[in-house]
Amino acid sequence: MSFFKQWRFWFSLLLLGFCIYFIQPNFNSKNSDFKINFGLDIQGGYSYLLELNENEFKQNLLVKTIQVLESSYNLQSSILEDQIFIPTGQNIDNLSNLTIQSLGLEEVDRSNEGVFLRIIEQNFNQSLSEMTLNAVEIVRSRVDFLGNKELSIQKVGLNKILLEIPGNLDNNIKDVISKTAKLTLHIEKKTLANSKIFINDETGEEVRVQEIPNLTGDYIQDASLQYNQNEPVVAFSFNKEGSDLFAKMTSENVGSRFAIVLDGALITAPVIREAITGGSGQISGNFTNESANNLAIILKSGSLPTEIKIIQEKQVGPTLGREGVQKGIYASLIALITITLFMIAYYKVSGLFTAFTIISCLGLLFAFMTLLNTTLTLPGVIGIVLTIGMCVDANVLVFERIRENFKNKLENPKNDGFNSAYVTILDSNLTTLFAAIFLFAFGFGPIRGFSISLIIGIISSLLVTYVILKFLLNITSEKYLGLNK
Amino acid sequence: MINFYSYKNKSYLASSLLIILTVIIIFFKGLNLGIDFKGGLNFEVRTILSNEQILNVFQEINSDREIIVKKEIGSDVHTIRIETGDDNASFIEEINQLILDHPEMEILISEYIEPTFSDELIKNSLYAMVSSLLVIAFYIWIRFDWQFAASGIFALLHDVFIAIGFMSIFNIEFNLTMIAALLLIAGYSINDTIVLFDRLRTITSDEDNKDSFSDNVNNSIKLNLRRTILTSFTTILALICLVILAPVNLTEMPIVFIFGVLTGTYSSLFLALGIVGDLNYEAVLKARDS
Repeated sequence: MSFFKQWRFWFSLLLLGFCIYFIQPNFNSKNSDFKINFGLDIQGGYSYLLELNENEFKQNLLVKTIQVLESSYNLQSSILEDQIFIPTGQNIDNLSNLTIQSLGLEEVDRSNEGVFLRIIEQNFNQSLSEMTLNAVEIVRSRVDFLGNKELSIQKVGLNKILLEIPGNLDNNIKDVISKTAKLTLHIEKKTLANSKIFINDETGEEVRVQEIPNLTGDYIQDASLQYNQNEPVVAFSFNKEGSDLFAKMTSENVGSRFAIVLDGALITAPVIREAITGGSGQISGNFTNESANNLAIILKSGSLPTEIKIIQEKQVGPTLGREGVQKGIYASLIALITITLFMIAYYKVSGLFTAFTIISCLGLLFAFMTLLNTTLTLPGVIGIVLTIGMCVDANVLVFERIRENFKNKLENPKNDGFNSAYVTILDSNLTTLFAAIFLFAFGFGPIRGFSISLIIGIISSLLVTYVILKFLLNITSEKYLGLNK
Repeated sequence: MINFYSYKNKSYLASSLLIILTVIIIFFKGLNLGIDFKGGLNFEVRTILSNEQILNVFQEINSDREIIVKKEIGSDVHTIRIETGDDNASFIEEINQLILDHPEMEILISEYIEPTFSDELIKNSLYAMVSSLLVIAFYIWIRFDWQFAASGIFALLHDVFIAIGFMSIFNIEFNLTMIAALLLIAGYSINDTIVLFDRLRTITSDEDNKDSFSDNVNNSIKLNLRRTILTSFTTILALICLVILAPVNLTEMPIVFIFGVLTGTYSSLFLALGIVGDLNYEAVLKARDS
């Protein structure tokens, strides 16, 4: 059979080109869209898994819904745990099933006392997910000051954010990301009704103010670190709407104090000396350079929709990362060479084919990984090792089946042997492949890292066995294969 | 040649004993759960200090939290695990400061996991594993028959469960990476089993074949024996390289996997086809022939 008439020959060439094209960008490190990224466990760095408070978000959503019920449907209602209760005696008929649905609510119970409603779970999950996406952007703008392009921020699940930063630890970042940064301004109030006392923990300063804020940080357009008589202060400016509100608030209350409150704690409570119409101001209050800068960054980025909690944090020192990688790669290479030498010793010429198959399988695997911008982690390396194992196994299956056919003196031992062995290979590999796909879909962290390299690896292994191994077998005369004894 | 099929009752007995033993071990000794599944703090430090000296250093922090220090075999790396408690954030700061104050210790890895999140991780891992098991069962059922699906899943669970027992005996930490190791064993086990299933299917679908079921089983195994041994051998060869050469925090995994390869080979040779026979697959074959 002629070399060039076989589609496998041309397909092998195509695969080779594909491998070279996609693997090569990994080596000339300059800006390329395609690249294998290394996980923190390999290159060192630190990561935080942040969780937004689901309950708080639900409460906020319920409060908003109550406000809509009052303003649009003229209905008084209250929140009972995670349900809305509308007592009878009002014009409940305004509330058709359609309106309830359009508000994203569903009826739980209706009795003589009133109607109980709750948020439809699907709607809630969707808003939760949207809120998290929004929070991802806020966190991104907060950590952007690091100027570290390789940091990755992604949404995980419904209400989690995974932040991964290669390199050395910057303690600042934890302060910056975990603050909700809800800034509120309250006018001082002398009477007790609807009032609240805020305290500054450091200075002990106290001020009784109106509970509902007069102005919030949502209107802040810009904030920066500045110096006032050599003391670091945070200068901020409001947008147009905020400026008007701020002007109104200050002009109506000249002479009284107003509290600047961040996440429920008093920062400072200056006296309003005159109306401030320019829409900008300064916050001073025992700042260090660092804390003033952090506050400016978080004010500028806006407040997070809910409180944020760090539920997992991990730091991998760069030394361990590097040593681990070197040793791991070294170990895997030695293992690979050992297997290959064994196969050559056992199967002679066919064993050489195995070496070829393994190398092309690895090449294809890395090309796919680069193409998909996969992040390679240590569990991922383990997945690759399993892949190589399955690739070797496929070779053994083929060779043994051909050998068996020779022994039984069948007509076309090479071809039939390969074909019947490939059915077995397909069955066993596909089982593992499907399992790996489900692991990838449902798993987290290491399990995902493991399954992604397994998925890519099995596909590569099936492909090279079918194309390259078969091609090598085709072009080799039966007597040289070393399988006919 | 060995009559594998005739060993099936003895194998059932041996496997039952192994499973019971594993249950007893897990019940009395428990699993050495890592912080992935328990929450808490984990540090890997490189130091010349001994375990006791490290514990002494940590005594400086006033805390009644449980602290476990373990030296990794053949290296100067120690793992320090501290259980979770109130106000973890400031506790972490304290520990970091403490280690900074002791330059004879170099932090390689520090990790903290909130207990609520570790509960979620357990649920998540179980979810992932169960769903992939169902997929495996479904695929085998479609491609072969339900007897094969049941037997394949049993062999797989058998291997994974005994590997968990192995980890319990040798006090190997059970964490997310170990879940990956167990998945590896599952993948290997099912792979090994399916190759035999496939051979049995090919042999029994031959219309000229008038052999008894037990002969067919023995034939399937015999024809695949070289492959089974070769594959297990090459895999173990590669794993031994990894055990000897891999970085310290990764040596436990190949050891568990070597154990898994051994039980996986055993379960496919002695258990899997036996179970298919005992689930009365013969009747299916007879019905098809007549």
